[in-house]
Formats: sequence, C-alpha cells, structure tokens
Amino acid sequence: MKQIFSVALVAAITSAVPGVALAETIKVGVIAPFSGPFAIYGKQYQQAIETYVAQNGTSAGDHEIEFIYKDVGGPNPDQSRSLAQELLIRDQVDYLAGFTFTPNAFAVAPLIEQSQTPTVIFNAATSSINSGSEFFLRTSYTLWQVTAPLAEWAYDQGMRTAVTTVTDYGPGIDAEKAFKAAFEAKGGQVLDQIRMPLSTTDFTPFIQSVREQSPDALFTFLPGGPPTFTYTKTYNENGLAAEGIKFLGTAETEEVNLQGLGDEALGLSTAYHYSGAHDSEANAAFKAKLVELFPDAVANWASVGAYDGTHLIYQMVAAAGSDGPAAVKSALGLEWESPRGPLTMDPETRTVIQNVYIREVERDADSGLLVNREKGVIATVGDLGWDQ
Amino acid sequence: MTLFLNIAVDGIAYGMILFMISVGLSITMGLMRVVNLAHGGFALLGGTFAHWLAQENGMPFWPAAVLAVLVTVIVSLPLERVIFRRIYDFGDLQQVLATIGLTFLMIASVNLWQGSSLLSIPLPDSLKQSVDLGFRTLPVHRLVVIAVGFASILGLWLLLDKTLFGIRLRAAVDNRSTASALGIDTDWIFMAAFGLGAGFAALGGILGAEILPIDAYYPVRYMVLFLIVVAVGGMGSIAGSFIAALGLGLLETATRYLVPDVSTIAFYALVIILLAMRPQGLLGRAHA
Amino acid sequence: MTPLMKSWAPPLALLALAIALSFLMPFNLAFLTRILIMVVLVLSLDLVLGYAGIATLGQAAMYGAGAYAAGLFAIHVWADPLAGLMIGAVAGSILAFVSGLVLMRTQGLTLIMLTIAVAAICHEIANKARDITGGADGLRGIHMEPVLGMFAFDFVGTTGFWYALAVVVVIFVFVALITRAPFGLSLRGIHESPDRMAAIGVSVYWRRVTAYTVGGAIAGVAGALSAQITQLVSLESFSFTLSAEALIMLILGGTGRLYGAVLGTLIFMFVHHWAAANDPFNWLFVIGAMVLAVVFFLPKGIISASAGLARLIKGARHAGS
Repeated sequence: MKQIFSVALVAAITSAVPGVALAETIKVGVIAPFSGPFAIYGKQYQQAIETYVAQNGTSAGDHEIEFIYKDVGGPNPDQSRSLAQELLIRDQVDYLAGFTFTPNAFAVAPLIEQSQTPTVIFNAATSSINSGSEFFLRTSYTLWQVTAPLAEWAYDQGMRTAVTTVTDYGPGIDAEKAFKAAFEAKGGQVLDQIRMPLSTTDFTPFIQSVREQSPDALFTFLPGGPPTFTYTKTYNENGLAAEGIKFLGTAETEEVNLQGLGDEALGLSTAYHYSGAHDSEANAAFKAKLVELFPDAVANWASVGAYDGTHLIYQMVAAAGSDGPAAVKSALGLEWESPRGPLTMDPETRTVIQNVYIREVERDADSGLLVNREKGVIATVGDLGWDQ
Repeated sequence: MTLFLNIAVDGIAYGMILFMISVGLSITMGLMRVVNLAHGGFALLGGTFAHWLAQENGMPFWPAAVLAVLVTVIVSLPLERVIFRRIYDFGDLQQVLATIGLTFLMIASVNLWQGSSLLSIPLPDSLKQSVDLGFRTLPVHRLVVIAVGFASILGLWLLLDKTLFGIRLRAAVDNRSTASALGIDTDWIFMAAFGLGAGFAALGGILGAEILPIDAYYPVRYMVLFLIVVAVGGMGSIAGSFIAALGLGLLETATRYLVPDVSTIAFYALVIILLAMRPQGLLGRAHA
Repeated sequence: MTPLMKSWAPPLALLALAIALSFLMPFNLAFLTRILIMVVLVLSLDLVLGYAGIATLGQAAMYGAGAYAAGLFAIHVWADPLAGLMIGAVAGSILAFVSGLVLMRTQGLTLIMLTIAVAAICHEIANKARDITGGADGLRGIHMEPVLGMFAFDFVGTTGFWYALAVVVVIFVFVALITRAPFGLSLRGIHESPDRMAAIGVSVYWRRVTAYTVGGAIAGVAGALSAQITQLVSLESFSFTLSAEALIMLILGGTGRLYGAVLGTLIFMFVHHWAAANDPFNWLFVIGAMVLAVVFFLPKGIISASAGLARLIKGARHAGS
C-alpha cells in the first residue's frame, strides 16, 4: 500500500517539476518558531546551523546543502504540517529539521512516513515522538534521559526525601514520573507530587507547601521563560535553600536567560546534557565561531541540538544523498564528538546517547557572568523513557 | 491555622500586584471608557525602559523606576494625540482593533530593540531581603508593592474625588460637549488622564516584574489577567478594581494551596459564577 | 442585474478566486486549506458577533470542542469525514448552548471575559484529561476514510482542499440563508436596538442563545475540519490567540458582512504567510500597521473599500455620460 503510494507520489512530483538534477543539491527544510514568544528557538537554530556551515563548508560528500527556514510561530500542529507539505512538495526538500514542540513533530509523522524523509528533531523532548515514524532522529534529549540520572545522583548524595513540583502538562508529567521512578528505585521517598497549572504566575503557594514538608530535595520542571524566572526567585526568597531543601532541576538554568536570573540563581543544581561552560576543544571552537558570526549570541542547549543535528544531516547526505531510508540507516550507530561531549546515535531509539552532567550555577571569575559549572558526569545515557 | 495565615499573606501580596498592574487600565478603560488593550503595552514600555536604565546602564533601582515611568508618560502623550483621541468616539470593536494594532507595534519595537528574551530589572539589596513574620518570611519587595498599592488607591481617591481635575474628568467623560461648553478644556483633561493611566501601567509593570517578568510578549501574555480584574471590579470604579484585585489574589492563592491540581478550573469557574451573578462587576455602575 | 444575481455574484467571484488560487498555487494547497478552515471559523464569529452583536473572545472554545469530538469519534467510532463534521457541529453547539445559557445574560466586557473563561476551562480540561486527549502532546492516531467513500486524503492535499472548499461553500450558503431569514433579521434588530425588539415581543435572550448555538455548531465544523486534515488535535485549538486572531480577521474584513469575513481572513492569512516567510522576526510591525490603517481609513473594514471603489467607478461613469 505504502509502496504504491510512494510510487504515485514520486510520479506526481517528477511530472510536476521536470528534470530533477543528478548532481544533487540537497535541500533541508527547517521548521521552527521565528516569530512570537518562542522566536528565540528559531534564532538559536539558525545561528547554530550557520556556525556549522561556516566551519564545514556548504557541501557534504558530492552534494551541496541548502537550508530553507519556515516560521511555525509556536505550538501549532496545523501550521507545522502545512509547512512540511509546502517544503516537501514545492521546495522538494530531502530532509526536515527543527521542531521545538512535541505536537508540531507528531503532526508531520504521517508525511515523513509517506515521503520517507529523514527528520532531525532539534528540541522536542517527549520520548514517544520517535515511535511515530522510523524517519525521526533526535539530537536533543528526552526528559527521562536527564531526569532519572538526576534522581539517582541526588540519592547518592545522601538525599532521602523529595517533593516534586512540575508544571501540569505533558513534559512536566513525564519529568515527574521519571524522577519518582528513579528516586524510589534507589530507596528514596517522594513525599508529595505537586502539579502546578500552566497559567501559574505566583508560585509562592506551591513553594510554601514544599517548605512545610521540609524534604531533602525539591525537584522541579517548568517551561522556559517567565515561569522559570519567577519560580527560581520565589524558591530563593522563601528561604528554602537556607533550610537545606536542595533545588534539583534540568533546563531551568539554561544559558540564554541565566544572566537575567541574577544572583538568585547561584547554587541551583541541575542535570543536563549541555553546559555552555563545558570544557572541551569542540565546545570552545563552536562558541568562538558562533560569537564571531553573531556577536550577541549565547550558546545553549537549543543551539547545540541544532549544531549536532546539522552535523548528523551532513553525515547522512555524504553517505546517502537524497535516499531517505539509506540516510537513516547510515545515521544509526554514528558516533561523533559534539560541543557537549561524545555522542552516539542509538540505533534503537534514534535519540542520541550522551553524557548527562550535574552542574551548579556559579559566577565565573574571568567573565563575571553566571555559568553552569559541571560538577559530575553520568556517562553515556540513552533514552530511558523509550520503554515507558 | 498556618495555612490560613499563608493564604492571607500570599493572597494579599499577590492581589496587590494584580492591583498595581491593572490600576492603569481601570483609569483608561474604567474611567475614560476606551477599550484599551494597549494597557499591557505601556507596562511593557515602562519595564523595558527600567531594564535598560538599571541593567544596561547601571542606574540604581528607584531612580531608574521613576525615570522609566516618566519616559512612558512622555511617550504616551503623543500617542494619545495621534491615535487615542481619534478613537474615543469609535465603537468597541474599532477600539479593540486599534489598540491591538498599537500593542503589536509596541511588541515589535521592544522585540527589535531588546530581543525576545527576559528583560530583568535588578532589585537593590534592600528589596531582596526577607522579613520574618514569625511563622514564615515574606520578601521585602512584596511589602513595598503592598505599600505602594495602598498609597496609589489613596492618591487616586484624593485626585479623582477631591480635586478640580477629578471633577472635570468625570464631567468630561459623562458628557464631553456639555463639559466643553462649560469651559472645561476636555482635550487637556483627557490627555492628562491618559498619561496618568499610562504612568500607572508602567509603574505596575516595573513593580510587578518579580512575578510577571517583562519580555516583549508581556502585553499579550497577561492581557486576560488585566481585563479580568477590571471586569470583576466593575467598569468606572477604581475602588472596585482594588477590591477585585485583592479578592482574585486571595481566591487564586487559596485554590493553589487547597486544590493545586484543579486550581485553574476552580478559579475560572468562580469568576464565571461571580460575573453571572453580578454582570456589572462588584462596584460597577449600570449605564447605557 | 437582477437583485438575485447581484447578491450571488460576489460569492461566486470568491469561489472562482479559490479555484483559481488552487491552480496558481498547486504546491501550496495545504496553506490554502488552512485559510478555508479559518474562513469557516470567522464566518461563525461573524454570525455571532457581526449579526447578533454578541461580543466574544472565546470562539476557540467551540472550535476546540469540535476538533476533539471529531478526532475522538474518528479514532474510536467511525472515521467517515462527513460523520465527523456532524459530530463536530454537535459538540460545538452543545458547548455553546450550555455556556450560552449563562453567558447570554451578560454584555460588553463582562461577556467578553466570560467567553475567555469558558475557553480557558476547556483548555485546562483537555490538558488534564491527557489519557483521553493526549494532553500537551496532542491527540494522535486520526486516520480518515475517503470522503464519500471515494476520495482518499492524499499527500499533496488535493482532496483536503476540495473537501474544505465544499464545506466552506455549504457553510457560506447556510449563513447567508440564516441572515436573510426572519430569524437573521430579528438578530439584526436585536443588535441595533434590543429594547425595541423586546418591546415588540421578541425574546432577546433566547434569540441570542440560538444564534450563539448555531455559531458554535459552525465553529465546531471548523474544528472538526482541522482535526481531519491535520490528523492531530492540540491544546492550541482552545487558545486565546486563535480567538483573538479570528476576531482581528473579522474586524479587518468588516463585521456583519459575509464577504467581509472571507476577505479579512484571506488578507490576514496571506499577509502573515508573506511576512512570516520574508521577515518573521518583524512581522508584527506589518500586521500592527495594517490593523491601524484599516481602523483609521476603512472603519467599516476592508470590504468597505470595494464599495467605495464601486461608488467611485459608478460616479466616474455618470460623470462621463
């Protein structure tokens, strides 16, 4: 059935656009928010892609690579799907990339399945996306991947009780489950699981509820931007740190908004796959080139997700050109050194296997800026949420 | 017992922030009767100027806040002359469209100038501390917001009820042509009142920034919050907005302590019941 | 021209435009289909706001209800597209009727806030019921059967486009008939002078509830259409942004005029598409300036520009004769 469909499709496309060149220019369609409250993602992706291109040239193997950017505006699956159709049909792209939000990625699953288009996810972190199509590959992370190691680390540090406070939506619930499962498997106890509504502006009630229970640790998951800002401030102002309730988070201290958090962020501990302060040659080279091209740019997990995604696309193009299934096959098991550390594309889950770092926010002596200082590393973690 | 004290303290502190961010709107929309969806835009401008002065130019918090409010007022006056003055007589929908258009331009301008990331306004150390209430602590900046809130309602009451300006403003709103026939310079009165509303919007944006942080999309993100306070309080009533803000602050805080899982649904359901029972709002005047 | 031809010429011209666009932009059928879905939503808003004068910023509540109902129906019961549209209409009308019983007692800002609150509650319920709706990940697994058992949904979106266009035509004719029927005329009367209508014995309240319910059904159809075409429903279908954008499109085009609703949607979507493709970071400048220009120069909406133009041409002809 699918075979027949693909043949029909190819016929439709080639008849519409005569003479597909043999010396191929491979087109990559990037679907991301470039406008609206989430425009920062699109900006980070584009800067990272252009940085990679500046370092590695515009060709991979025998092929030239060209990127086409499309603005999806925000979480908007209708728009995501219609842009993917436009890219696949009108622009004839061979690869898709980007995808910040889970529903936007899910919306293109039937399309890439039919057109056999390798699609590299730069951000969306719900494990089950990759089960939506064999053509999804993910260079970001999953919530289980960073949360479970954090819970285990917390137990090893002597923390025995915890309260979780997560924003009440899909990713938050994922993080809550991952933390509880891993923490209790070790023998720790989760005293309370508080789910905070998406529309919360004042977090004091939740923070006070946590304080009353005086756990050893407070695990939290919040969407980026204003909620993170307010939550971390409220955590500090209510003296939880002073009472020995340790803050445990993941993306809360990401680099773009970190300086805005101010001194209140000092001492917050998080587990994550990328820190801008990661000490390696690859990271130094990446950041140097990024700042050379875009003086105001700040590298964060979104940039590194796009940077590695671009690397993956270059590798696939060099190996298989525009042959989608062959490209995905060539990517499975691929290993490379990323600015975040060593990566392997897991053949089973198609999410990268990577190090998870335990970090703490410090003020860097040289630059005077806040940084996520790596304090420990949990090596080569795969997508632990795949079987959940 | 502690729970009730917690709800009371946090509810009042949050309610006062709601009052500060919406009091400007209850002036322009409540008193002047222009559907002003650009209110959040003026709060955004105030917050952005304060961020620029304090964060990027190292100015201390209070002078930066005062200067940012003044600059916002200065920006608002020509806008009143060019845009708002022409839409006072328009229908509600035209006013909605015009003020949304203006809001978009404000967002786009801030986005172009400062980008779309968070624009923090660093607090002085004196405001960062916490006060010990015995059973818990409360951040000083929340106490400051409570104090400024009370000062604002008192000042506005004096200004609007006890001064010639207030009497003239109410006369001008109720019947503009009669008021001008009586020799009141309504153009000037409206411009001054609008500047006052914009100034309060900016002040609310700056003081509320610890809870509702400033970024380019601030006006859209919190538009519903401002509108709800004014609607529940009742059009045309500053005191209504004050009571509504405190009531909503307490209500939202209570639902978050007691039923965190369904607090959004509970909050909106209670607002619906309240408005269904009192369509004019708490202290709104019925008018044609 | 006979009056009948006069009243049907513009919609036929619009239909011709839609068909022409599908040939001019054969690779953008998905985008054109999204415009058609928005047209249905904006038409529902036009009936509610433009004709009945019910101020709302929560039309997305019924759109989302229709989308989830149609999506769930397709997954669990029957994946026939037309049956799905009916289910969407039923879901939208039930939600509009039940909430309308309370909402239609109020007016103005209070009414606007209540419509926002209803949409917010729906959003939160869909978010909480993630076992049924998929929550923030979206409702997945919608696979539609062919339309009328003959036309399968295809990759390029040809079937989707013609299917959506057919729905738009049906809805447009339906709304046009309603507004010309006595019921529609009484809505106009209520909009212009509720007191007088009450005085002549019309139940203003029940007329408003009925109009809101019919509008809800149409919004539900729009939601169902989007669920079937995207094969996924997300929480955003309940979002304030969607309600607000639909309102902007309607006022841009001109309220209380069916062509206004269509034209406003077309122009907004095309300008957005164009601006977002060229400079997404600054597209709000374009839309903001456009909106302000319409308020000041075409206070009755863009549709009034054509009337003005027609007068101008007519005037010139008269002058020439």
